[in-house]
Amino acid sequence: MPLDKKNDRSVQVLGIDAGGTMTDTFFVDADGDFVVGKAQSTPDNEALGLIESSREGLEHWGMNLEEALADIQTGVYSGTALLNRVVQRKGLKTGLIVNAGMEDFHRMGRAIQAYLGFAYEDRLHLNTHYYDEPLVPRHLTRGVMERVDMFGTVVIPLREEMARTAAQELIAQEVEGIAISLLHSYKNPDHERRVRDIVEDEIKKAGKEIPVFASVDYYPVRKESHRTNTTVLEAFAAEPSRQTLKKISGAFKENGSKFDFRVMATHGGTISWKAKELARTIVSGPIGGVIGAKYLGETLGYNNIACSDIGGTSFDVALITQGELTIQNDPDMARLVLSLPLVGLDSVGAGAGSFIRLDPYTKAIKLGPDSAGYRVGVCWADSGIDTVTISDCHVILGYLNPDNFLGGQVKLDRQRAYDAMKEQIADPLGISVEEAAAGVIELLDSDLRDYMKSLISGKGYSPSSFVCFSYGGAGPVHTYGYTEGMGFEDVIIPAWAAGFSAFGCAAADFEYRYDKSLDINIDEDGSADQKEAEATLINDAWAELSEKVLEEFELNGYSRDQVELQPGFRMQYRGQLNDIEIESPIESANGAEDWDKLVDAFNDKYGRVYAESARSPELGYSVTGAIMRGTVPIPKPNIPKEEEGPAEPPKAAKLGTRKFYRKGKWLDAQLYQMETLTPGNRITGPAIIESDATTFVVPEGFETWLDGHRLFHLKEV
Amino acid sequence: MAYTKEKIKDLVDGTIDRDTLHTMLSTPKDGDRFVKYIEVLQEQVPWDDKIILPLGPKLFIVQRASDKAWVVKSIAGHEFCDWRDNWKLYAVIRVRETAEEMEELYPRLMAPSTDWQVIREYYCPTSGDLLDVEAPTPWYPVIHDFEPDIDAFYTEWLGLEIPERAA
Repeated sequence: MPLDKKNDRSVQVLGIDAGGTMTDTFFVDADGDFVVGKAQSTPDNEALGLIESSREGLEHWGMNLEEALADIQTGVYSGTALLNRVVQRKGLKTGLIVNAGMEDFHRMGRAIQAYLGFAYEDRLHLNTHYYDEPLVPRHLTRGVMERVDMFGTVVIPLREEMARTAAQELIAQEVEGIAISLLHSYKNPDHERRVRDIVEDEIKKAGKEIPVFASVDYYPVRKESHRTNTTVLEAFAAEPSRQTLKKISGAFKENGSKFDFRVMATHGGTISWKAKELARTIVSGPIGGVIGAKYLGETLGYNNIACSDIGGTSFDVALITQGELTIQNDPDMARLVLSLPLVGLDSVGAGAGSFIRLDPYTKAIKLGPDSAGYRVGVCWADSGIDTVTISDCHVILGYLNPDNFLGGQVKLDRQRAYDAMKEQIADPLGISVEEAAAGVIELLDSDLRDYMKSLISGKGYSPSSFVCFSYGGAGPVHTYGYTEGMGFEDVIIPAWAAGFSAFGCAAADFEYRYDKSLDINIDEDGSADQKEAEATLINDAWAELSEKVLEEFELNGYSRDQVELQPGFRMQYRGQLNDIEIESPIESANGAEDWDKLVDAFNDKYGRVYAESARSPELGYSVTGAIMRGTVPIPKPNIPKEEEGPAEPPKAAKLGTRKFYRKGKWLDAQLYQMETLTPGNRITGPAIIESDATTFVVPEGFETWLDGHRLFHLKEV
Repeated sequence: MAYTKEKIKDLVDGTIDRDTLHTMLSTPKDGDRFVKYIEVLQEQVPWDDKIILPLGPKLFIVQRASDKAWVVKSIAGHEFCDWRDNWKLYAVIRVRETAEEMEELYPRLMAPSTDWQVIREYYCPTSGDLLDVEAPTPWYPVIHDFEPDIDAFYTEWLGLEIPERAA
């Protein structure tokens, strides 16, 4: 596109996915057109990589950064910096105040933390288990005498002078943040708040500025380890991120932007970098994809979606049922148990970079669990990798174009991959290299298929009622493989699969969410008085949480009347182990009648999530938590809508052919340029549709067509 | 899978990084591990006799350079005995068999009763390095921990030639 011509494109939305190796940017204009920019990440100053990636993306539109930024109304960031800081345990020097006598529980952690994130084999293999260094070492932990029991009753009054001494000692050790987490403070916050005030008072007296984080102000939920870990994370890791985000925001402002950055958070909404609870931005990339799928589904009318994402290291699956996400309450991340609401996502360590090895004794092929990640495989001469990976098989079998990996930024060497595969796998097994590579791909496909099937049927559904969305850089290469024979209602690959996470971030609501634990128990036929009392408890919790949500929005300059509040709660049949999250049908709960409405909403959802016949009202009801979500309207990317044209792809889209091996024979696969295909085009396999950042494989026996929303539909013929 | 000799050295020294250690634990053993492992150990001992098999962090079965006889030898250079013999019988031994001696190690009442169990410590006569500890009943003979079938280990497990051995 000529650069001297005035560009009348108006860019509306910017989504950013700053990964460990690549920084993706995703720009959407007023017509819903989008462009993806890629650049190497710059961990020392993330802003540099971001600006570079933006320039690269905008170049495709012939725009410069200043032009584009002036119009952009919303920018959403997701990145791995915070997670990495926690994984490497490189955070600020944090002090911790807990109950006297409980000073070691943070250090001891939960047993599960010794093997969190491990592959199944290693979970069983005790020798591999280990404990990480605690986020807060023992010498920065202080105990304060007090005790509140599980009903919220004060058993031992707070010894205030101990809190004062604890604060003084931690200040003297020059901590950069102080977290406070007392037993059962979610039930009765008085002592913890008093300790917080004393600590703040001591900090002031010392003439210092040290942020203080009381668990009750952030995560008033049960489970000490989870609550304490999460509160500590705020002090330990989130504060440095706030500085990074501030810097990024500043860098864009210097280039003429007028918007404030938002960050993707674990609950599936976006929050400002000024937010109090920033620890919940710890993971965002994979969630972005799920939110994107939900948004597409809402707009195009898909209610049940199986989201699947293959990257270099993992295969992530999430289910959207009746347009709703599942929210997990006690997720784990970076080998820590946490109390954050997290969009439910199941992950298995099999991706395009997974290593392939032969068991030297049984000669069985073993995939992963470790992977080459961004280093692709042996086929990349500079990778330093000498064990073959899935990507090597792709190159050997003609799935990938070795000269157009990441748009040609990385040159792959087929011969290298071929030789390594021959030496490591094919020769020891006495088969040809093609057979070996195809065998590995089949094995991976069937692994992924089994995994997906067990997830869907494990939740009581049949794949036939789901539409499968496939995205991520390596997703479309394997879509045919893990969906074959599953009987999905439809299989959809967005043409912007590689930038789908960034797209999802841009499509997410500006939403704050606060949670609080409750312990409400009532019989099915409880009296009206009881019901009224329970309704009041919920209502009080909602009022408390609303305050926090509104405060967050005020920080970003939104007045209270601009915020739409959506209360929710977690309920279960009494005595059952799992609760489910319900959106409240009423704005506030007053009286027995309102209580019944909440119960009806629960029964209704329970029937949908499990089965109507599984409902057990005779057990009575428990409410385990109150939730408050607040949103304000923001611009979102339009989903493209173009007229569908002829079925025959335009000549310009055809790129020649490539040898492609599957099921024991080499065929000539027709190659297409993804961006040049037009809506309505139908392509029958064997064909390979290439774009810079992703490759969509359509083997023989499959057909795909591109609809007006630039979504490919894949089906078996 | 193969690791560099530096990684194996890190493993021996206890300075190996967590990720590599995890991979080592979770994958089948690398074919050349023993050779590299012995090379690393050989560089760390002050004498030149060829290490045949390590018996502990500071104790080895070695091929004596002068006559190719296989003997048990400590890192400090003390030669105990023929490799088939129980080296412990030639070590300096301390037996903890009274409550007082136990209390040097354990808090009172948290040690075994010495009527039932004693602790026998085996030291290198040259350096005083603690080479092994056993905790048997008081009357129990000195335990011969390990009688390795080195011929089978070398030929059938490692696929290596058996080093020369004087009869």
